[in-house]
Amino acid sequence: MSTTSHAREQILGKIHAATQPDGGQQQSYAALPRPCIRHGKLTAEGCLELLIERLREYDAEVVEATPEELPDAIASQLAASGKHIFVAPEGLPTEWLIKGFDWRIDKGLSHTEIEQIEGVVTAAFCAVADSGTIVLHHSATEGRRVLTLLPDWHLCVLRASQVVETLPEYFDRCEKPATLATYISGPSATADIEMTRIKGVHGPRFLHVILVRDQG
Amino acid sequence: MRASLFITCYNDTLYPETGRAVVRLLERLGVELDFNSKQTCCGQMHANTGFRAEAFSQAKRLVRLYQDTETIVVPSSSCVAMIRDQYPTLIHELGNAELQSQFTALLPRIYELSEFLIDKLGVDDVGAYFPHRVTYHASCHGVRALHLGQRPFRLLGKVRGLRYLELPNIDRCCGFGGTFSVKNAEVSSAMLAVKLQDVVATGAEYCTALDNSCLMHLGGAMHRQYAGMKTIHMAQILASTETSPVEVTA
Amino acid sequence: MSPAAEEHAILDPALAKPFPQAVLPVLRNPQLRKNVAHAIDVIQGKRAKLVAEKADWQELRTAAAAIRSHALDNLGFYLEQFEARCTVAGGHVHWAADAAEARQIILDLLRQEGASEVIKIKTMTSAEIQLNPFLEASGVRTYETDLAEIILQLGDQEPSHIVVPALHINRAQVREIFARKMGLENLSDDPKELTNAARTYLRRKFLDVPTAISGANFLIAESGGVAVVESEGNGRMCLTLPKTMITLAGIEKVLPRFQDLEVMLQLLARSATGERMNPYTSLWTGVAPGDGPQNFHVVLLDNGRSSILARPTHRQTLKCIRCAACMNTCPVYRQTGGHAYGSVYPGPIGAILTPQLAEMHHAQSLPFASSLCGACYEVCPVKINIPEVLLELRSEVVNQERKQVGRIFDPMYLGLRMANVLFSKAWIFHTAQWFGRIGLRFFTGKDGWIHWLPSVGGKWTQTRDLRGLPSQTFHGWWASRPKEGK
Repeated sequence: MSTTSHAREQILGKIHAATQPDGGQQQSYAALPRPCIRHGKLTAEGCLELLIERLREYDAEVVEATPEELPDAIASQLAASGKHIFVAPEGLPTEWLIKGFDWRIDKGLSHTEIEQIEGVVTAAFCAVADSGTIVLHHSATEGRRVLTLLPDWHLCVLRASQVVETLPEYFDRCEKPATLATYISGPSATADIEMTRIKGVHGPRFLHVILVRDQG
Repeated sequence: MRASLFITCYNDTLYPETGRAVVRLLERLGVELDFNSKQTCCGQMHANTGFRAEAFSQAKRLVRLYQDTETIVVPSSSCVAMIRDQYPTLIHELGNAELQSQFTALLPRIYELSEFLIDKLGVDDVGAYFPHRVTYHASCHGVRALHLGQRPFRLLGKVRGLRYLELPNIDRCCGFGGTFSVKNAEVSSAMLAVKLQDVVATGAEYCTALDNSCLMHLGGAMHRQYAGMKTIHMAQILASTETSPVEVTA
Repeated sequence: MSPAAEEHAILDPALAKPFPQAVLPVLRNPQLRKNVAHAIDVIQGKRAKLVAEKADWQELRTAAAAIRSHALDNLGFYLEQFEARCTVAGGHVHWAADAAEARQIILDLLRQEGASEVIKIKTMTSAEIQLNPFLEASGVRTYETDLAEIILQLGDQEPSHIVVPALHINRAQVREIFARKMGLENLSDDPKELTNAARTYLRRKFLDVPTAISGANFLIAESGGVAVVESEGNGRMCLTLPKTMITLAGIEKVLPRFQDLEVMLQLLARSATGERMNPYTSLWTGVAPGDGPQNFHVVLLDNGRSSILARPTHRQTLKCIRCAACMNTCPVYRQTGGHAYGSVYPGPIGAILTPQLAEMHHAQSLPFASSLCGACYEVCPVKINIPEVLLELRSEVVNQERKQVGRIFDPMYLGLRMANVLFSKAWIFHTAQWFGRIGLRFFTGKDGWIHWLPSVGGKWTQTRDLRGLPSQTFHGWWASRPKEGK
């Protein structure tokens, strides 16, 4: 494509002429002020309470469980959903695949197949209490992006040790830049008609969270 | 204490009663005032309308005129904002080192009226008496350029007999904006209509401010619409006492 | 009233009417003004509450402003870094100097795919380059998927806001558009039912159309990643289901590092929609094997941006992260809505961005479409001093205009030039005051007020009175005071 390579030179030429590149970007980046709050002040318990409050504000259903109670907690969520066919990411722990339901394990299911599935169960990378955000990095236990998109019902299992208070604390937990991520802060919603908030436009309409107390 | 008055061009021409009130108020508080009759305009109208070349000459003139003055009091928040926010760029662009140093020395000696009373004189009770229902319009420049904050409320709060009525959307622009009011007269009028609704709804007799330009706008609409309210510069409220009430104009 | 019955808005700065004329039909439209004010008041109320609860709001603004300034100061470095990392991750990066180039690049990519349809995530940048009409004319059907954009597309309307583009349309008007275009005669005007209609309308499109176009909120230089923030999930659908994804992004959208999102994302949703965080943020890097589009293109658009970069005061315009907080707080926008700005970028940011993107050849009335109240600067999450840039641009416009022959007798120009002479010497000023007092007496009524003035003065007196000039100036009074021993 000749346009674009010509355009590239032209644009970069204009930018370089305008900005006098000094090659010192890395030092000057390090010197940038970042006076905002990094670490929250809440206790671990307070942080979990805040997360639960935020998630409930978004109409997500939140239940708590000990590690031992987890399979039962999953089972009762699945049963209460009234749904039968569920999809699971390939890496989901087998004890989470509760018997008595129709499980599809994602080993490259087609979009049409996933579209027919009623619900999905995943883990998460982290959750941010301050904004009630669930962070998915789409690992083997969190699934491909499409799994948490097409099914209308999403059950997310979150460990208490994965909960941070502030957004910067999440970034501190990333060893390197995330390459694939979805941050979910409540169910899909719109306010495009007269600023009236309507839930459930295109994404899953029902979000359930099991918070596993894995810390003292 | 000595202070010099920069009355501003439109107060001189259109609202001399504001200037007289400032004199009465400050002299009552023991300030020795002087007034340089060579003063004209700060250049705000030119600068805000894009006539920068013209604004240069006003800025230069003002800085030179006041270079030997100790303290300058200005009863107009937008003119102070002009000097604080726009002069630095204008003077810098002029590239005159002598002017630059004169300006740098001058800048901290310029006070808006409420700043002068609270920060320089350290008074919020000026001994005023004004037995009326009053609402206060926190003009844009007062709020967002000068950050006057609680100063006007502290002053009004100590005026005996005054009943303060809070103005909803207090920091929303009245739509004046200098030449904006004629260049975009229709939008300006629409903004004014919304503002006036809020002002009238307070049930106040007077709407006050620290800037006669907003008050000229609001007052012009009040008069046109027989709104049953008047505008009054805060200097006039503060100058008013039991024995010598404010001069009622027009 | 059917919105279709109203005048069709023109958002091309080259063709739009000057602001003072363009606002007239809007100011006379009670429904439109009510819709705009309602939407604005709701967002502003929510924003104010959330900003108040954020203890480090000002510190976040400081950090964000610094990051954005740094990114712009080193834009070439970061763009090249983004290009390299995105390419390594399997993406293809294209450069477009102007709108025409960008449109052609996108069309060529679509033709390579044999695409006859494309689904789109809301992108103001694509509206800036007028992409949809171009693609439609070239035989590619475009399907907007954001609810507001669907309303506009089906209603043949233009966006009037950059975050809630259909805020000027109310539920009854949406119902009318959907009923007509989707063939749903029994649809009610309940927003929930209307939203469901849109969901059903688009569901098959998401699954069937293999090509999508998005904008970008941020490009991450260090990783080559792209971030898109949204609310409805239509973005995730478009970013996940198609085989091919084309992202159109202004060159200014780059952030140095992934971690910069920790600042930006705390500011963006709070500023834009008054939420602590928008429901969905998606981040992807090139191509993820087995997950999402396997064919990914980024088109980097200049279209006037590098010229803005070259000017120190103006550069800050490019810091914008398109949150729309400035238009939500603007007392002018609150009265006029967006269409009068004649650009896809309305409000205070539009008033500075639009004429600059047009390299000051068009939209010269926009820098004057502000009372300089400063509310925009106060709320801007990246601290763009919009009033400062407005003043710069006003001065440029005046410098253009004052050379024009037609301006010689323009009362505004005459008046301001004359005023400059008056203010140059006190005696001239004082003489002029005297003449003014005599002259205005002619227009002053018995009540001491002026109700009518000719020429520019008439612009004032069309809605306000002016008190007649008092018989004594302040300096006159001062001179007449008894001198107490001085």
